[in-house]
Amino acid sequence: MSQPPAIVGLGMTEMSVTAGPDSYALATEAVAAALADAGLDRGDVDGMLVGSSQGVREDRLGVALARRAGLGDLRLLEHLEIKGATAVAMVTRAVLAIGAGMARTVLCVFADAPIGPGKAAGSTYARSGGNGGVRGLERASGVLGSVPTFALLASRYLHVSGGTEADLCAVAVSARAWASGSEQAVNRKPLDDEGYYASRMISAPLRVLDCARPVNGAVALIVSSTRPAGHAKPAIEITGMGAVHPMRRRRAGAESWFGGGGQAVDDALAMAGTSRAGLDVVELYDPFSVVTLCLLEEYGFCKSGQAGTFARGGGIAPGGELPVNTGGGQLSGFYLQGMTPLAEAVIQLRGTGGDRQVAGARTALVTGIGGRIDHHEALVLAREAA
Amino acid sequence: MTASQGAAPQEALPGAGDWLVAPDLAPDAGDPVMAPLYAAATRGALALPFCAACSTPLELEQYVCDACGASAEIGTAGRAWRDVPLEGAVHAATLVHRREPGLIVATAPYPVIDVELTSGHRLVLTTDAPSGTTPDIGAPVEIAFRTVGAVTLPAVRFPEAASAAGSY
Repeated sequence: MSQPPAIVGLGMTEMSVTAGPDSYALATEAVAAALADAGLDRGDVDGMLVGSSQGVREDRLGVALARRAGLGDLRLLEHLEIKGATAVAMVTRAVLAIGAGMARTVLCVFADAPIGPGKAAGSTYARSGGNGGVRGLERASGVLGSVPTFALLASRYLHVSGGTEADLCAVAVSARAWASGSEQAVNRKPLDDEGYYASRMISAPLRVLDCARPVNGAVALIVSSTRPAGHAKPAIEITGMGAVHPMRRRRAGAESWFGGGGQAVDDALAMAGTSRAGLDVVELYDPFSVVTLCLLEEYGFCKSGQAGTFARGGGIAPGGELPVNTGGGQLSGFYLQGMTPLAEAVIQLRGTGGDRQVAGARTALVTGIGGRIDHHEALVLAREAA
Repeated sequence: MTASQGAAPQEALPGAGDWLVAPDLAPDAGDPVMAPLYAAATRGALALPFCAACSTPLELEQYVCDACGASAEIGTAGRAWRDVPLEGAVHAATLVHRREPGLIVATAPYPVIDVELTSGHRLVLTTDAPSGTTPDIGAPVEIAFRTVGAVTLPAVRFPEAASAAGSY
């Protein structure tokens, strides 16, 4: 019997900070784990959506994953590319495909392996980009990888909001406090303000602890309109979806990084028939601490310029008013783009979060962003009634 | 907000190449999107694109004018390249501490500045000479030039004294 599309399977590899298998091997492992988690066989799957890190890399995941992972005769197979918003968008596309009758059970898979033998992830990112277009001018000006760009964003955000680096510190420390209770998190060692300020500066005002923790790893989700027989884990329904892609030109006299993303969350909440007050956990895409602050304001959880005060008051930390990035997010948990907030939402709504479980969590907001906060995808997820 | 790390400015070595990056990072001067900018830079000018129909300043990778809807495709009369004043103000700034081996030749943190030009454009550039500081947001700056490999490109020049206050 067909039921509303729901996430019925979650598979995660170990999140490794050392070189190891390539992204295809990692993705294949995550697919197997998701199938086992859902109690499904490969033959039960008739769709797969694949996402990968941007940039030209030899092992960049693509639709060849179907053959690699032994998934034949799929009715839906697609590599999606909306930058960092891709993973969250994959779930939306799966729901739409299922609703249109084009598939019944869809795998959504993301893998990345930026850490190679003798090669740190930062070096991989710094060496991506080429020498053409505006990027060529910026790379020749020392803008390598995404950190300097987001440092400019942070510089501007703190200027506009009147904030200080104490606001960034509060986000990083809150994320680590959540991560300390997460088995999946890479950085679980307790962190206080002193430890934050002692951490290495990467591009002022961003320290290493303001930046996402790159890993080699993969996550696979299974979205289905059927509920596997005898499946003991609660299905996680997708009750709301929204997206917006604001175009902000870089011009003198205008802000080019902030504003316009809230519509995605408004639409997802409206579709779900709920409000911000009805959310138990909020899982945001947080590649840098400053982005958490931007998104809290952009999505209407804090007034403009107030997110730093909210974070410094413990608002997003364990025990705070708004549980945000409850697995430590990308800062302390692991950086697998939009799969980081998605996986954590599923864990929380299943009630399997262990030491960082938010008691009674039944409804979650998950968002993904891409580019320089240019693309927003939002989902409201809800634990299906037994 | 200023970012002064107390890092000593490095001495430029005449004839020894760019102070910041290796020649491998030289931009593609023949890229049709950017070629007029690099050509102008070789004569000490900053040229940037405008909508030929309504004179709205365009982003370097903008091909339709938001203001009037006219096409501003590369190589067409709809895209007007004009020399602009070498003046602007700081929109945002960072002092980059991470230096990728083999690509960054500077041995100390270096500035990257997002400049609002008086023409209405914005560019993200480093400085024309080594600097261990960044100017305040809103501070006036000038556009100068540096050379990477065989390509001349715009850079920021600002008085060091502008960054006396505050620090990270």
